[in-house]
Amino acid sequence: MSTSTATGVPVAASPESKTRRRKLNTSGGRAPYLFIAPFYVLYGLFMIVPVLAAVYLSLTEWVGLGSPRFIGVTNYVNLVQDTSFGTALVNSLIYTLIAVFIVVPCSLLVAQALNAKGLKARDLFRVAFFIPMVLSPIVIALIYSLIFDTDYGLLNSALKALFGLPNTDWLGDPTLAKLAIGFVLLWRTVGYLTIFFLAALQAVSPEQYEAASLDGAGPIRKFFSVTLPEIRPVTSFVVVTSFISAAQLFDEPYLLTKGGPGEATLSVAMFIYRAAFERQQFGYAAAAGVVLFVIVFGVSQILNRALAIGRTS
Amino acid sequence: MSASSTTTRADARRVRAESGTGSPQQRPKKRANGGWLARRGLLYVTLSVLLLVFIFPLVWALSGSFKNRGDIFATPPSLIPDPATIANYVNLLTTQPFWKWFGMSVGTAAIATVISVFVCALAGYGFAKFQFRGKKALFTIMFSSLSVPFAVILVPLFILVVKSGLSTPWFALVVPWVAPAFGIFMMQQFIVQSIPDEIIEAARIDGNSEFGTFWRVVLPLLRPSLGALAVWGFLQSYNSFLWPLVLLSDSNQYTLPLGLNVLFAAENRSYDLVLAGSVLASVPTILVFFLLRKQLLDGLTAGAVKG
Repeated sequence: MSTSTATGVPVAASPESKTRRRKLNTSGGRAPYLFIAPFYVLYGLFMIVPVLAAVYLSLTEWVGLGSPRFIGVTNYVNLVQDTSFGTALVNSLIYTLIAVFIVVPCSLLVAQALNAKGLKARDLFRVAFFIPMVLSPIVIALIYSLIFDTDYGLLNSALKALFGLPNTDWLGDPTLAKLAIGFVLLWRTVGYLTIFFLAALQAVSPEQYEAASLDGAGPIRKFFSVTLPEIRPVTSFVVVTSFISAAQLFDEPYLLTKGGPGEATLSVAMFIYRAAFERQQFGYAAAAGVVLFVIVFGVSQILNRALAIGRTS
Repeated sequence: MSASSTTTRADARRVRAESGTGSPQQRPKKRANGGWLARRGLLYVTLSVLLLVFIFPLVWALSGSFKNRGDIFATPPSLIPDPATIANYVNLLTTQPFWKWFGMSVGTAAIATVISVFVCALAGYGFAKFQFRGKKALFTIMFSSLSVPFAVILVPLFILVVKSGLSTPWFALVVPWVAPAFGIFMMQQFIVQSIPDEIIEAARIDGNSEFGTFWRVVLPLLRPSLGALAVWGFLQSYNSFLWPLVLLSDSNQYTLPLGLNVLFAAENRSYDLVLAGSVLASVPTILVFFLLRKQLLDGLTAGAVKG
């Protein structure tokens, strides 16, 4: 970044160029609107319209044929009484808690380790940890079904060989299945989140740490009094994006456990998928989607605000 | 201004030089310190264990793809396929329309990538270099779409696409990925950081139109970040699962993830075929990632860190 500004400002006559620079015409008439128009057209068609359509559909009963029948808030009333939906909400809450309170701190720890002074092969680690993120979820699910398999899986074989433990049904126990999905989520996203934290850590100026050292701060106090406040913008970005992606988790539970055993790993996104595409309850599915939207949108605004207010103070 | 900046830079260099001469004296002290060495050792051990955790499952899958069907779940498990065979790959390619799936995945992902990169660069430039009425509101609207889960628009988008008769995969598979807010944010950050106003001004003085300035001057300078965004967009689309799952029903139009899922979900769990397919499906993405890793990783973080 510094190099590009350096190439941009090699102008000798500095005062004149400065005034000219200030005069750069940035109003541009219609031009800026034309530049952003293609995005907003696509955005309107494929984001705003569907969101509004979801609100409308959620007030109707519709099986996909004929026209939707308006039924008011009946879908929402039914959702409140639907134990499956309650289970899905709780499960998705668990996934978001795992993402925010386990995956994010782990990413920060890994980044902190990778930021160690003079670390060799830093790029190798950074790239290797990122690889799960470029794989297809189906590939990941397949690999982990090989590993978690009760009778022949790699994990049970290893545990038996090392500790003589009996076989565990990792994906068949309601609690273990949630943890297994949490682990796969961790495995897939830690490397991705780590690169954000690592970039943020590398941007903290060494002088800050030196100053803290002079004040007699140890590594732990330095972490809390220098590192955390300095990287707060990135932390808030990482927390919010992790929250949003965990709240709409679909691939892992669908592919690894089909939501089971029972409904132990059913997520809200899976609930929506089942209602719409297995039972043809499009209005009901849309209502579940609107509830998810309100929760995710509301919580991420709150998170944004909470974390950003901390930044300005 | 330039004079003062040179002095600060010189100061910085002097400081660095001083600390540089200082560190060799400090280092032996550190080396002698057993605690430091132990901690270093622990760090490398931890990172290597993590490396194993991240890479070993992939190696395990790769090895399985060269095993006979019966050996994939052999006890005790063995990492080296014995005997090694390419029968799984041959079977997959002869019994399944694998290349059709591959073509569908790559083709639709490529279309989505080209469109989204162009749209994001345009809008990012508009936001980065212009002041206009409603800019703040429009930016907020765009940015807030980051917190709209795809599952929310899944049902209505499906209905809109089907009811409007546009459910051909070449259109429908592309639309959810063409206008990513993250891409605009990334482009905007890049343009603010790396395109000086002087260059735009010079291009205008040379008689370029606004679009000509963007096309001939700004876009070429953005090449590295366009690469990062392109890789990112491609991966998003290529790996997507839920949208193709609800949209596609003809097995000749499947994308790779969907085709593999059908094999995987079949009664007999054709692990042999799916493992071979997974390896083949992952090769392009891992390859592209390795080739453009630096651009991608630095590009992804630039916006978030500086913003």
